[in-house]
Amino acid sequence: MPESTVAAVADAQASLEAVIKGEVLRMYQEVADSPEAEFHFYHGREAAEMFGYDPEWLNQAPKGAVASFAGVGNPHARSALQPGETVLDLGSGAGLDSIIASWQVGPTGKVIGLDLNPSMCAKAKAHAEATGTTLECHEGVMEKIPLQDASVDVITSNGVINLSFQKRRVIQEMFRVLRPGGRISITDIVSAKQLSQSIVNDPKLWAS
Amino acid sequence: MFALLEDSGFQRVRSAVVSGFRFRKGATQDAAEAYGVKAVHFTARKPDIAS
Repeated sequence: MPESTVAAVADAQASLEAVIKGEVLRMYQEVADSPEAEFHFYHGREAAEMFGYDPEWLNQAPKGAVASFAGVGNPHARSALQPGETVLDLGSGAGLDSIIASWQVGPTGKVIGLDLNPSMCAKAKAHAEATGTTLECHEGVMEKIPLQDASVDVITSNGVINLSFQKRRVIQEMFRVLRPGGRISITDIVSAKQLSQSIVNDPKLWAS
Repeated sequence: MFALLEDSGFQRVRSAVVSGFRFRKGATQDAAEAYGVKAVHFTARKPDIAS
């Protein structure tokens, strides 16, 4: 392929990624700002109950964190978090999963959120404080996790890795920041068939 | 995703379909089913230094 063509393809890819990143930010901001709205995916308490979240967790968590929940499963079901562990919640959103993790690791543990959107980090921290727990939250991208090598025991994530154009890079970053013997418990969307180019190139469908 | 985890060095990779997952809107759910879209729970472990 001629060099000019390679450059043009790379430019088009970068442009599409930027548009999709904007759409992802818009979509999840909308869920957080207008949780009463109807989306094509289930969200809020209805979704959390569908995935088997302990109703007691949902009663104890701040209403705003529960209402903005937009996960696709229950990563806590197999995370086996232990007191004192350090947990990274990739794509922490309004903080429900981070707060639940913080209850499990207790005061000797630590939960670190990571989100593309700084206002979501602010919301997550406020929600955590409302429950008497502390959450460290970083604005950043999962393709370049702003943490040191081998610095966390467990990574949880709920429906965000599928949003990345660079999934291999995300997983390599997860591997890098985990301590030896560390583990992941992630729920995400996968497709058995290759999606059509029209779907891949549609920012709204990608973001959803 | 399963292969990506193994390729990246993770061990004990396990996956289980999230049974309750579905889209709210019928048309979206139909399209998702046509493409085999599902929610999956993955667990895996980074090897110990010694292994």
